[in-house]
Amino acid sequence: MSTRKPMRRTIRGGRPYFFADPAIDKILNMVVVLGGEVWTLRERLAALEAIHAKRGALKPGEVDAYEFTAEQETALAAQRKEFIDSLFRILEEQVQSARAQGETTAKRPASKRPAKKKKSR
Amino acid sequence: MLELKHDLKLQKNRDEKARMNFVSGLRAHILNDMAGGMRAVYDAEVEPQFLRQQRRAPKDGPEVHKAIKTNEYFKFYSSLRVTTQDMVWQTVFPPLERNRPELKEKATRLKKQRPLGSLKLKKNFEVPRYVSAIDVHLMSGNYDGEYEAEDLAAGALYDNGLAVFSFGLMGQNLDDIGQSIAGAVRVRYPNFKPRKILDLGCTIGHNTGSWKDQYPQAEVHGVDVAAPCLRYAHARAQAQNREIHFHQMNAEALDFPDESFDVVFSSMFLHEIPKKGIAKVLAEAYRVLKPGGLMLHMELPPNDQLSPYDAFYLDWDSSYNNEPFYKPFRDLNPREICKRAGFDPKKYVQFVSPSIGWYGEKAWRGALERHHEVDSDKTGRLTDGVMWFSFGAWK
Repeated sequence: MSTRKPMRRTIRGGRPYFFADPAIDKILNMVVVLGGEVWTLRERLAALEAIHAKRGALKPGEVDAYEFTAEQETALAAQRKEFIDSLFRILEEQVQSARAQGETTAKRPASKRPAKKKKSR
Repeated sequence: MLELKHDLKLQKNRDEKARMNFVSGLRAHILNDMAGGMRAVYDAEVEPQFLRQQRRAPKDGPEVHKAIKTNEYFKFYSSLRVTTQDMVWQTVFPPLERNRPELKEKATRLKKQRPLGSLKLKKNFEVPRYVSAIDVHLMSGNYDGEYEAEDLAAGALYDNGLAVFSFGLMGQNLDDIGQSIAGAVRVRYPNFKPRKILDLGCTIGHNTGSWKDQYPQAEVHGVDVAAPCLRYAHARAQAQNREIHFHQMNAEALDFPDESFDVVFSSMFLHEIPKKGIAKVLAEAYRVLKPGGLMLHMELPPNDQLSPYDAFYLDWDSSYNNEPFYKPFRDLNPREICKRAGFDPKKYVQFVSPSIGWYGEKAWRGALERHHEVDSDKTGRLTDGVMWFSFGAWK
């Protein structure tokens, strides 16, 4: 049995925005995260190439011609999902706080819940 | 990225290391290159416009801030800095989540194999609101966040995050401040031989240990309000073979008797607490110091000793990095607050110590002999060639 909760990754006290539209700050965040992942790939490739060159195992054109196996494809798909999640993580903050709000409302007894506004169309 | 040199450091895979390298590199770019760029933009665009409109130069940090706020370069600098600050912690979370069970085991093992120093935590300890209600410098969970029994993850988050954050400027084990300042005290006051030393708001004890290194005969204590940081601090000290005593206490109301310490130190601590708290901390420091003892706080330099632009530059954190008490602290006059705590103004001390890691021991020692003006774009700024400011008083 584990009582280990995952660590919280949102920021109490909020996050400042600088551009007239906060969307610009958020997109900048995505660009930078993406930049980080591009760099991460380059470091990994550099490591791989160095290992292979050391072993004399990499020939010209070999990487371009390579086809992944089904297992490799499955693993890559999972990693790709993680990559995309991390790229758009900033947008999830709003969703998480919206969900947390939803939970607080749901926990309150029905009598104390704010009356639903009638939809006007 | 800086690789920590002690046994508690997180095990990271190739990609995790690369992400950290990228964030460290990005921070160095923002705080060196872009900071220089922003100064250039200020000189070329912002200040001339202010001069044209007001027929005078900005008189303080807030006026510079107001004038530069609408400039696009400032917006990109700031937005990128916030994003990168957040990424510092985000690069640590995945390896930390994976390492949490192993981290606890390591701490337990250290306690058995290398029982050094002590750890005293309190049941039902009340963490002050200024710690429990905010995630300071955008660090999710802050210093005191706990997610399981006997948790020390928050300490590991801070340690490993600071290694990414500091891009090498805070020393091999993030102890450059401690080594530079404790070392400066030993060099400047060769006849001073402290036997009991106290570090206030010590978090993970990364600067507490330097006092033990400089004065191996001394009994060294660290206090903090955050239990997970203290658990981590004790394990970290043991991993580094240092005998240090950690206590969960609020520095505003210490449990130690009057006149029990020769040195009361803190680093990067006072700016995290409100003004009322600072007054209480200094009064407590006075109370627990022996006559002839030294109180010394490594801190950000005060606004009244900086140019308006440099004041604005340091205050950025107060406005945008969840550091609400940072500017109010820097608006205080250090000599005055020491006096109000009971210290004789004639015994006030302040100095700027070059970073021992950046300048090397020989140049650091040489530089200690010379007087350094506080007003500089290196003092208290995480930038190449950083110099640390400290102030305090003898009792």
